[in-house]
Amino acid sequence: MQTPPERPKGHRPEYFEDPAIDQLHAAFVALATELSVAFDRIDTLERLLEARGNITRADIDGYVAEGAVDEARTARRADMAARLLKPFRDYRESLLDRNRDR
Amino acid sequence: MQKFIQHAMLPQPDHDEQARQDFVSTLRGHLSGRVMPGAYRVYQSRVEPAFKAQHGRTPADQEEVRQVMTKDSYYQFWSAMQRRSQEMLWESVIDPTERQLPMLIGRAGKLKTRKLAKGRRGSLRIDPGLKVPRYHTAADIHLQPGGYHTDFTADDVAAGVVYDQGINLYMGGALGPENNLTGDTLLAYIQEKHPDFKPRRILDIGCAIGNATLVWARAFPQAEVHGIDVGAPVLRYAHARAQAFGVPVHFSQQNAEQTDFEAGSFDLVISHIVLHETSKSALVRILRECHRLLRPGGLMLHLEIPRGKTVIEKFMHNWESYNNNETFCRYMTDIDLKAEALKGGFTDANTRTDEFIPHMDVAQMNYTEHFFWKILAATR
Repeated sequence: MQTPPERPKGHRPEYFEDPAIDQLHAAFVALATELSVAFDRIDTLERLLEARGNITRADIDGYVAEGAVDEARTARRADMAARLLKPFRDYRESLLDRNRDR
Repeated sequence: MQKFIQHAMLPQPDHDEQARQDFVSTLRGHLSGRVMPGAYRVYQSRVEPAFKAQHGRTPADQEEVRQVMTKDSYYQFWSAMQRRSQEMLWESVIDPTERQLPMLIGRAGKLKTRKLAKGRRGSLRIDPGLKVPRYHTAADIHLQPGGYHTDFTADDVAAGVVYDQGINLYMGGALGPENNLTGDTLLAYIQEKHPDFKPRRILDIGCAIGNATLVWARAFPQAEVHGIDVGAPVLRYAHARAQAFGVPVHFSQQNAEQTDFEAGSFDLVISHIVLHETSKSALVRILRECHRLLRPGGLMLHLEIPRGKTVIEKFMHNWESYNNNETFCRYMTDIDLKAEALKGGFTDANTRTDEFIPHMDVAQMNYTEHFFWKILAATR
């Protein structure tokens, strides 16, 4: 069985003058994702520990976030995204401020 | 927002795979709701003024906007992040799909012969000899690796499985629990404009995984419903998925530019955000084929996404053309869909384009703050 290619066929755009910045940027997004994955896993661990006192790896892999837990996680992810992207927001807002002052 | 509905043809992500999908979804929501709007403000506050200072006028078209906006650091950072999130969206669903693919192919085989209620049945017809058009093979549309048409193993369904999960993440769940929003939207249109229309034979062109097709099959249970697409793996998945939901649909691998259906054999021919994925020459051929397939008095409806009204909106909407492998989509910006339909044989009096406001979560929309659907409607 073949597997799909790792990269899609087609033009790969570069956004910055130095392609290293593109790569750094992409790595940053991936890092953010993995950090979020780790946070979710820690959250699962903590909740299981709290509930049972002892856990197994299978317990963790089988855990499904539902209802209020799922909502709390969604809120935490949104918060994390906002924190990571705060520099963009700050910059955008500073432009608006400058515009207003003109 | 309703949860994405689970069924036999979807893989079960493990803990970390689920966490990765959840983060990509959240990130995209943040990008479209909070970062993308900043690109408009950047344009208004510094890009357009700088252009005006240099040229004594504002940019005349989206190409002039492109020349200056692509040099702006805010636009560059948003684009890089939007692009990367799109790549990661597919990666996050491909992992669990590949892991469970043999099981999913096995299930599709079993679902094929499943008996549906009231003795009704769907069908699947694959044409291994079909030439997949260049607008599919030139680049992997929406960056989905392998596109919608590539088989990587016998009886492959992966492209469909990946697509179903991927578009759910792409819109942060805004497409509905069965990715049914586009079907619902066009159905709402027909119910408003043609409340007494009761089609007995329906064709959905470019149906992919049949997510919109099923909306029509359920709304008109007496009708014989067909779905065609050029992609074999998405059709195998579409058929298995429809069977899992117990909805009878006839799927066949065909090019909408030239089908093997009889002339005048359909009451209703529809498509859902498909036309912009075809080429300019294919578009006219598809509309001509729609005209051929309809009986006199039959109805053709195409749902399309907006392309913006101002130069900056047009530029932003075309982000997908340049950065998300909607390679042939650029020409759609200023295309007159009604004029194309007339070339296809429809008459001026019986053809119209409408703007239709969606019922959806606007925070999840990309590229603009003012969203509406475009609908091309014509009666044979």
